[in-house]
Amino acid sequence: MADVAASGMPSREFNPWPATILVSLLCLAVLFLAPTAGVLLSSIKTTREIAFGQLWEMPDKLFLGNFAEILNNPAVHRYFLNTFLVTVPATAASIALGLLGGYVFSKLPFRGSDILFLIIVSGMFFPPQVILIPLFRLFNAVGLIDTLWPIIFVHTALGIPICTLLMRNFFSAVPNALREAAILEGANEWQVLARVALPLSLPAVAVLATLQFTWIWNDFLWPLILTNSDNKRTIMVGIVNLKGQYSVAWGVQGALSLIASLPTLIVFLFFQRYFIKGMTMGAVKG
Amino acid sequence: MERSARFWRVVLLAAPVAVFSVLVIWPLFSSFYYSFTNWNGFSSDYDFVGFTNYSKVVTDKLFLNAALNTVVWMVAAILVPTLLGLGLALLIDSRVPGGTVFKSIFYLPICLSAVVVGQIWVWIYQPNWGLLNTVVSAVTGYKLSYAWLAKPDTALGAVIVAWSWQQTGLSMVIYLAGLTSISEDLLEVCEIEGASVWQRIRLVIIPLLTPATVVVIALSVINSLKGFDILYIMTGGGPFHSSDTLAMHMYNESFKKYLMGYGSAISVVLFLIALTIIRVYFRQLKRVDEIYG
Amino acid sequence: MMAFTRRWILAVTAVAPTLSMIVSAGAAGASEVSISHYFTGELGKKGIDEISAAFTDASGFEMMDSPVGHEDFKAGILVRAASDSLPDVFSYWAGARVQFVVDSGDLSPIDGMWTREGLDDVVAASVAGSATMYDGTRYLVPAGYHYSGMFYNKSVFEDAGISDMPSDWEGFLALCEKLKGMGITPIALGSMNRWPAQFWFDYLILGTAGPEYRAALMDGSASYDDPEVMKAMSMWKDLVDAGNFAPNANAMTWTDASDMVARGEAAMTLMGTWITGYWNGQGLEPGGDYDFFPFPSISTGVPTSVVGPVDGWVISANVANREGAEAFLAYFVSNTDAQVKWATVQGALSANVNVDSSSYNAVMQKASATVANADHFAFNYDLATPPPVAEVGLSMFQEFMDDPSDYQALLNRTQTSAAEAFQN
Repeated sequence: MADVAASGMPSREFNPWPATILVSLLCLAVLFLAPTAGVLLSSIKTTREIAFGQLWEMPDKLFLGNFAEILNNPAVHRYFLNTFLVTVPATAASIALGLLGGYVFSKLPFRGSDILFLIIVSGMFFPPQVILIPLFRLFNAVGLIDTLWPIIFVHTALGIPICTLLMRNFFSAVPNALREAAILEGANEWQVLARVALPLSLPAVAVLATLQFTWIWNDFLWPLILTNSDNKRTIMVGIVNLKGQYSVAWGVQGALSLIASLPTLIVFLFFQRYFIKGMTMGAVKG
Repeated sequence: MERSARFWRVVLLAAPVAVFSVLVIWPLFSSFYYSFTNWNGFSSDYDFVGFTNYSKVVTDKLFLNAALNTVVWMVAAILVPTLLGLGLALLIDSRVPGGTVFKSIFYLPICLSAVVVGQIWVWIYQPNWGLLNTVVSAVTGYKLSYAWLAKPDTALGAVIVAWSWQQTGLSMVIYLAGLTSISEDLLEVCEIEGASVWQRIRLVIIPLLTPATVVVIALSVINSLKGFDILYIMTGGGPFHSSDTLAMHMYNESFKKYLMGYGSAISVVLFLIALTIIRVYFRQLKRVDEIYG
Repeated sequence: MMAFTRRWILAVTAVAPTLSMIVSAGAAGASEVSISHYFTGELGKKGIDEISAAFTDASGFEMMDSPVGHEDFKAGILVRAASDSLPDVFSYWAGARVQFVVDSGDLSPIDGMWTREGLDDVVAASVAGSATMYDGTRYLVPAGYHYSGMFYNKSVFEDAGISDMPSDWEGFLALCEKLKGMGITPIALGSMNRWPAQFWFDYLILGTAGPEYRAALMDGSASYDDPEVMKAMSMWKDLVDAGNFAPNANAMTWTDASDMVARGEAAMTLMGTWITGYWNGQGLEPGGDYDFFPFPSISTGVPTSVVGPVDGWVISANVANREGAEAFLAYFVSNTDAQVKWATVQGALSANVNVDSSSYNAVMQKASATVANADHFAFNYDLATPPPVAEVGLSMFQEFMDDPSDYQALLNRTQTSAAEAFQN
């Protein structure tokens, strides 16, 4: 859309809008950055400095001990590897399953499909602690505890509701005529899904990839419960475990958290250009 | 044709439905089962107690308190990030320089771990040297040492602010994408017709953003349940239950008081409430589908 | 699009075998003992690692370690117990919490090992009596224990001209008045996470009503609206009303309160000996920068009590490697090197009578002597009463610190909730 106010006014006159917008955005950005700056400040201070209430003061000198401690710790490297090994497959699998479900609910509805869809989507609405014990029992029975597999499975399953919902909404916007034309030409449903509907819905896939990646990356409940050994832990469990029962590790936690946020930020920056090509379900329908 | 459709339905739905049934539906049923027992979680013995846990839900003052807080939490969790995100999207979309930088700044909070974000906000609200009181004292000249998280009146609100800060970027991104799909010609026509900025936003842009709003609200609702982490770290439902939500109450009863049976009953009730809300939501969604789909 | 799909499949085919290799678990060997504990953080983990390594050298058993931060540990152990797949050995808090797990049938008795290893001669009788036996059966060995006392900033006391530490309540009140007269807040308390407030309740009730009444309150045979509890709470209220506590206790954690004392903004804090680990880590000198005195006695004729937690090791009922698990427990408590190391990293006291107290720093030596001279060792509140009741009481302390004025009504409400919690 056009800049809401700027266009159309005579160019000779002073137009206050762009400057106002820029200034208000700058103010909001400062406001939004303050807590993030707090994380940054904590990461370059010693526990003693923070304990003495100097968190919000500008540091006299840069203390990089927290970062050094993390980057030189082989366990942290392992945490990063594990987190990637969980997040990438779980993100991909949940989106793939959402694609399949979303396509059927949108293009091949059947009697009872509304109810099935409702049941699946309602899966978004309970706190995950509810299914903690049954799932632990299940994975324990099949001997998968203390591997990364159950974390991948759980995140795949928990991602199905949102992926199905979003994909169904997107596919609904793909004109039925396109599908019918392809079917008449001899394509089967799989080919319609893969070659007609999916390419038109790539923005949705990009959104889901960003969201799922971020959520799974930042989760610590499931890896904490489903693994035991240190070499199976993920980065978020690592952050939590830096703190002891009677000890604190604010600086190291802040530093690790900043480093741990980089992959999700990169994923966002990479995928955000796809968002723009028409993000919502109404968008593709020209 | 219909036979082939049936075939493809089965083929395409098999995997998602199977995974979802085994890993989500079945565990939920087991929770339903335990809600009729007095299981403590540790013991292998338990008795069936009929509807005792459910009648306890009705009389439990802490449940009622948590239910009310959940309503406040959900309403705020939907409204604040949605409106803020819309506002930011409108500002950024007006082609200011540095759009990507702004986008990244507003999105960054989602990328940070809940543990650290929670801790930082505790330090922002710290009464003596916290950022908030320091800034307020500097601006007003009056020394403020209010303990935002420690007072039952403000604890929940303070967490909602932190939570909104973290989630706004998400709705902003979705609204930004939605805005790109609104045709510029249409807006120019409005302008020539003499519509004011406010009229254009209210009468043209917001209605055309409805599909984006549907997505934003769905995401807000899901996320408001994930908000458990930050609430758990910042207040743990305290001080003395003033910021308890139903998810927190369920957690406390199941995992701190070891009343697994009662905790299960709470989750079943929570699930039923959610199901009702979601049906209403879908009715709205259907209406939207009819208009825009 | 097809190119995209094909590349995708290629990528998956390449990653999958590697993934399954890295993702899968190694099979557990017969010489391995699985262990889980809440000793996270740099020092706790280092302590366990070193002691485990020494144990492996001595015994041939290998420890499969799984540390979890202590709040999440509680949930994690519950989930594992619910699936009958507890680790062979895990750390747990002696007292009502272990009792709860014993009652649920999830622990293995260790009487045989205890006798075989002659632990009666190793573990201090006071700790052995209160922390290791449950319903007449032995279940736990103490890893270490803590004592809660009044830790103070030495230079603040010196500046105020205080050299004699108060031993009775009048002396304590006079001390507070003197500090306030100098413009110093006497007491810092950080009750944001609730539990630090419990030590005040513990010492006040133990000092006025005595250990027997307190035990009755903890097991539900006495009630929170008794005159004994009312009296203790009214003394606490008087302390708060007189302005002895730093404001906004509920906005501070125990480390915030400790920091206030370290900075000299408050004079003292009632806290466990782990505070020495925290302060030493920040470069404070035990005995030089800080010291402690025992909580003053209140009523005459009441036995002197000390309060603190005992961290213990227990063996699960579903233990896979009993021999290794028992060997670890015996080693951990009886090996003096392990005990000294553990006490040092945790800021804890050792329950092993053979540990020479000269291995402690000056402050810990004093703490050890204080515990030895006391008539009675009591678990702190949340370890002394069943977990569902402790939840009720801890919230009550927090509400009290927010506004103590109507403590009678608060106690009446607490009794209603506590009675309900005892029934479950």
